Amino acid sequence: MKLGRNLYVIVTGLVAGILLLGGLAECIDSGIGVGSHFAGYAQKWVPVVLVCRVIGAVGVVWLGWYCLKLVGGITSVARLLKKELTAENTGSPEKRIKIENSVALVSSVVEKPAIINELSGAINDRLRRYADRNLALEKHLKDLQIQIQLSQRQKRNTEAIIYSIRDAVIVVDEFDRLLMANEAAAKLFNFDFRNSQHKPIGELIEAARSEFVDFLRQSRRGKVRHTRRELDFSRDGDSKTFDCIVSCVYDGSEQVCGVVAVLHDITREKGISQMKNDFVSHVSHELKTPLASITAYSEMLSDGEAEDEETRKEFYSVIQSQAQRLNRLIEDILNISRIESGLIKVDRKPVSLTILIEEQLQMIKGCAEEKDIRIVSQKPIVFDQVYADKDMLSQVIVNLLSNAVKYTPAGGTVRIETEVDETAGIARVSVTDTGVGIPEDEVKRVFDKFYRVGANKSCAKGTGLGLNLVKQIVEKVHSGRVFVTSKPGVGSTFGFELPLATAKTVEAV
Amino acid sequence: MAGKKVLVVDDEIHIVHVVAIKLRNNGFEVVTAANGAEAFELTCNEKPDIVVTDFQMPVMTGIELVEKIRQNEETKDIPVILLTARNFAIEDKQKEDLQICDCLSKPFSPKELLRSIQDVLYQRAVVQEN
Repeated sequence: MKLGRNLYVIVTGLVAGILLLGGLAECIDSGIGVGSHFAGYAQKWVPVVLVCRVIGAVGVVWLGWYCLKLVGGITSVARLLKKELTAENTGSPEKRIKIENSVALVSSVVEKPAIINELSGAINDRLRRYADRNLALEKHLKDLQIQIQLSQRQKRNTEAIIYSIRDAVIVVDEFDRLLMANEAAAKLFNFDFRNSQHKPIGELIEAARSEFVDFLRQSRRGKVRHTRRELDFSRDGDSKTFDCIVSCVYDGSEQVCGVVAVLHDITREKGISQMKNDFVSHVSHELKTPLASITAYSEMLSDGEAEDEETRKEFYSVIQSQAQRLNRLIEDILNISRIESGLIKVDRKPVSLTILIEEQLQMIKGCAEEKDIRIVSQKPIVFDQVYADKDMLSQVIVNLLSNAVKYTPAGGTVRIETEVDETAGIARVSVTDTGVGIPEDEVKRVFDKFYRVGANKSCAKGTGLGLNLVKQIVEKVHSGRVFVTSKPGVGSTFGFELPLATAKTVEAV
Repeated sequence: MAGKKVLVVDDEIHIVHVVAIKLRNNGFEVVTAANGAEAFELTCNEKPDIVVTDFQMPVMTGIELVEKIRQNEETKDIPVILLTARNFAIEDKQKEDLQICDCLSKPFSPKELLRSIQDVLYQRAVVQEN
């Protein structure tokens, strides 16, 4: 570099000297005219002038070339720097060498090469740091990509869990826009959950279910952690009740950033609860009725209101009959309860249906005669034995017969028949009356607990437990089947089927 | 209170019978019915001084009977006492709207019922005098 600089100085000096000489020669030459001070010297200086001018021209050309080269070197350094700073492989050894060479060129002619060296050092340093940072960034990018993949997998798992939940689940953000919903929610609220993300929940849910949207908004605004409410939804006449729990989601600064709603269908539970309440209400009423008579008549007796012996006997009789009625009612309720819970004691033996029917007919004969109702029973059938608890089966038969007599107007007929189907291995008992009949929409409910046909309540009293007890005894205890057919104004046929008492049946039990 | 006519309505024959005996023993004239429809007809025809009716009956319930009594110009002022075996059978507002004078739960005491009938008739007499 020093040699290059010295050469530049020498050449510059030479060119300057030559140009000076040439100039002087010119001056001398211009002063050679007659009378000039320098006359006589002119001709010998012309070749000198020429040579000087040629050398001068060459020197200028060379200087110019050298300047261009210098500028080119500086420019190439700048270009390389620019390229390096914008290129991908910043700080690569090859590029660093190119820059160093360009810098060396510049240094060789520049007066203070130390500055250039410092600049070069600084640039290289910076490039090295860029290279290191680049590596760090690439590593960080890879880590982020892994984290993203993990997050996406977690998100898929979470979605899979939520989609598999049977209850309806809806998640909205702080602006009530849908973030997530499962299939149960989409079905309940009738929207396509896969194409509804980020849509306002109010637009997705129909007006008929707007109570739910209002509930979400209230919970979010109230910032209550958990709120619970029962919501009723109806569609096509089918009403359902949901236990809706809404929970606010909080971010790091305890601000509500979303709401999660879970709707659990409690229609069945509510129905059962209502049935239980109705059952208790019915039982209470039915128990209080005979009790009212017992209480009233007892008080009348103790207050001496029964003035004669006949009246007193009548009162005692009423108390007794009502107490028996109360007892029967309690027994029926308890039996049904025991049968339902599987706790009842069953004493199974081969029992002849015909004989059993004959016994029960004797019990209701009196009531039938009072109403002038004709009882018809078929001739005894041989081999009609079933494997059953005799007392329970008696209860079944007497309940069916007494119902038939109760709901048949005076002058009507009640027929009881037994059939045996040996192929199917069953015995069938049917009780047919010419009574008031049952409307078609109520037939399927007659075996329900406490159910009484509305139109027939005026015809006779009842607890609504008799047929339920029949069903429980036949189906639950004896694995049989009850059946009913009816036509309003014509009459009804109630009956049951039980397996015949074959060796196989006895073994199976 | 002697000579006052009481209509007793209940589908339980024993209840009707024991109440009738109690009231007759205390000087009341008693008319009985087994359901709401029969009772309304008797109310219109017999014009009892007071009606004592069960809540739950076939054909027409006690509440339906009272509603019909209140809607009829000739019978709308007849006081009514309700007997019921169901808890919370009737709300206070409904009791007020139908002008039901008293509500007794079954099992009830015949003495208590007699006292209630006497109180209602006495108050009615005082109001009419004024």
